[in-house]
Amino acid sequence: MTIEWFVILAALLFAVGLAGLTVRRNPVVMLLCLELMLGAGALALLAFSRMTGDQDGQILVLIVLVVAACEVVVGLGLVVAMFRRRIPLDVDEIKELKG
Amino acid sequence: MTGTFEAPTLDYAALSPLIALAVGLVAIVLTAVFRPLKRLAPGLAILSMAVAAGCLVWQFGTEADLVSGSLRIDGLSTTFSLLILIAGIVAVLYAAGDIAGRQVGRPDFLAMLLSSVFGMVMLTMANDLIIFFLALEFFSIPLYVLCATDLRRPGSLEAGLKYLIIGSLGSATLLFGMAMIYGGSGGEVGFQAIAEGLTKGGVISDSLVLFGIGMITVGLAFKVSIAPFHQWTPDVYQGAPTPVTAFMSGATKLAAFAVFARFFLVALAPETDQWDVILAVLATLSIAIGNLGALTQSSLKRMLGYSGVAQAGYMLAGIIVATADGVDALTFYLAAYLAMNLAAFGALIVHERMTGSDSIASLRGAGNSHRIVAWPMTIAMLGLAGLPPTAGFLGKVFLIEALADQNWVWLAIVIVIGTMLSLAYYLRVVAVMWTNDPAPQGEDGHIDGDLLVTGGTPPWKDLGLVVPIVIASVAVIFFGIFPDPLYDFASRAGDAILSLTG
Repeated sequence: MTIEWFVILAALLFAVGLAGLTVRRNPVVMLLCLELMLGAGALALLAFSRMTGDQDGQILVLIVLVVAACEVVVGLGLVVAMFRRRIPLDVDEIKELKG
Repeated sequence: MTGTFEAPTLDYAALSPLIALAVGLVAIVLTAVFRPLKRLAPGLAILSMAVAAGCLVWQFGTEADLVSGSLRIDGLSTTFSLLILIAGIVAVLYAAGDIAGRQVGRPDFLAMLLSSVFGMVMLTMANDLIIFFLALEFFSIPLYVLCATDLRRPGSLEAGLKYLIIGSLGSATLLFGMAMIYGGSGGEVGFQAIAEGLTKGGVISDSLVLFGIGMITVGLAFKVSIAPFHQWTPDVYQGAPTPVTAFMSGATKLAAFAVFARFFLVALAPETDQWDVILAVLATLSIAIGNLGALTQSSLKRMLGYSGVAQAGYMLAGIIVATADGVDALTFYLAAYLAMNLAAFGALIVHERMTGSDSIASLRGAGNSHRIVAWPMTIAMLGLAGLPPTAGFLGKVFLIEALADQNWVWLAIVIVIGTMLSLAYYLRVVAVMWTNDPAPQGEDGHIDGDLLVTGGTPPWKDLGLVVPIVIASVAVIFFGIFPDPLYDFASRAGDAILSLTG
């Protein structure tokens, strides 16, 4: 297998995540799609890291994993806070702010 | 056990600003645990940021790669970091009387603010892709929380969630772009090494690099709110607690533009011909959309959000020219923008605590009744509109000068047209304030008492609020008349870029 396959797979994952983010309206599912997009970036980094024999890409992937976890923690925290205040969990129905 | 242990060489003196912030951060978290110490938290936050600022001034002359070249301390990072720390200290003072901090617990609020400042300072020093991504998230994630801290209002939670989703979308795009650049440069993460890798021609085709440049541009455009990636800006500016808006409007732009300059002018220097046109188109879009969007707003915070989009377009011009002069002009403009925004949002906080409204209509008659609101707001609006004798005017002059030098005359014309458009909404605020009629209470449907803070010291006697507002307004005028000290300060950033690119 050549590097192209890995890059194409990463690009596809990224596209799936992006499509999900635009189509789905539930914040929890949107967070999942964001994870997919970060995962796509991580996969591409790993593939290039293996291709070039450089380790720094793998370090960046480790950091991405931690950062992705932090993002989800904050996101889920916000979702719980909204749920407790009976704010609808649908980004189309949250429109306190617009204009 | 055989072998000798060799400690890594770390330049602790050059790292001292980051160390000071980290120690302050830990201390604040500890005060949340030991409840009697809670009252010390704001003091600790200001102290650690002031110590960090002191360390930066101490390291002003240093130009060095730190931690195996991951971080770089030079004129660019020290100049931008100092401005970010000023924004951070003022934000703590603004938030001291604010109710949002009390709802989540004062130390928690301050710890978030301080870690955001830490991430921003680290981002100005970022010299490789790893720190670039890490620092960007380090400042963004606490900001998402800060935006959501006004738990009474559904709008605040909504702003937090919107910012989180769109901000993370920006980060994910940025990361994918980084991966492409990493591959295209042949496995390099250091900014200078990327530039060398790109000149040599990586293993993979140029299209990969172009794709990467495009995605990194989009990712950063999300962070500095450049159209068409700006949709979150007005919502978040309006929904977030006003002290947080005051902080993020200036500081996120500072941090993101610092790394924008370093990454595009150092790492992507060999590809300048590819990205300058893309950025010029984005700048034009931003100026058009930001100014047109601001025209119809009734909420002042929302209007300043759209104005921030337009201003980001002006600032982008400083990157597009790809010269040291451009970076100088960008830094000068950012410093002026920071002062104008701190004055405007400070005055707005005073106004909100008295009337509970952030609508432009509620400012009617402020010129007669509340001078502490009207004067700083007038100065800030004239500055943002770019009228002499304010620093905003000179900032635009420097930007246009840098553009004209590099044959970007059409972009300079776009900036001038944008400025003329912007007069309409900035001067509307000034006109409303100096109208003599008393404020029509509740008539415009925006006065809902949401932001009203009753009891406590009246806002105009709150020195933590009044002193920064006055200093910021005076600075806008002072640097408009005597720009030399600020320009010399800003030109340190341009010199740093010049010494990196040779």
